[in-house]
Amino acid sequence: MLENSGFGQVTVGPAVDTFAGAIGESKARSFDVFGYAFLAHRP
Amino acid sequence: MPQDLLVDVDTLRTQVREKYRDVALDPYGEHHFHTGRPLAARLGYDQPTVDAMPDRAVESFAGVGNPFSLRRLRGGERVVDVGSGAGFDSFIAASQIGATGRVVGIDMTSEMLTKSRATASQLGYDHVEFREGLAETMPVDTGWADVVISNGVINLCADKRSVFAEIFRVLRPGGVLQFADIANGRPVPIEAMRDVDLWTG
Repeated sequence: MLENSGFGQVTVGPAVDTFAGAIGESKARSFDVFGYAFLAHRP
Repeated sequence: MPQDLLVDVDTLRTQVREKYRDVALDPYGEHHFHTGRPLAARLGYDQPTVDAMPDRAVESFAGVGNPFSLRRLRGGERVVDVGSGAGFDSFIAASQIGATGRVVGIDMTSEMLTKSRATASQLGYDHVEFREGLAETMPVDTGWADVVISNGVINLCADKRSVFAEIFRVLRPGGVLQFADIANGRPVPIEAMRDVDLWTG
């Protein structure tokens, strides 16, 4: 979606277990939900 | 609602406002995600920077990653924070860009705006400003920003293409988008994607 929106040089950082130990952990685990950092550039 | 959107935009916004009003007013209450200093530590924020912040600048932080982990901001940059909440990432940005830069935080939840503005005043940050607005129609001039940051916000927007188009508009050519958000490793059934309660819970 980033590239379709015109952005380039897209970088994705490593997964972070954002919800581990939180109330919402089980729901996040159901769909392998993790946090990520993204970097993209406007040409 | 447009046919390709999975949930009603206004219904989702109402639920998001309610959720984050609670986080602003009751940051130590029961939420389905981590908040505050423990979350900042989990996400790898620079500990001395966070330690130096007053509690009110950190306690309502509810991000999902670290938008500064792939690139540190540079002195003098102009930054837009999409969905700035109580201002935690805006204040981190302010510490990186210095007094010659500028941060504009955008949020739609009045309780978050009240909190972020009061904290900016407490910190004496004249180069940080918070404006009421939506991610899809930000009150920022075209091409104004060197950098757009965001943290855990775009996943809560029904029309992500509109959000990315708006970010593209406010960035100058050559500008940088650095954000954090969640992504799922397994496909979510279409009926779950149409359940607005699951978007915020």
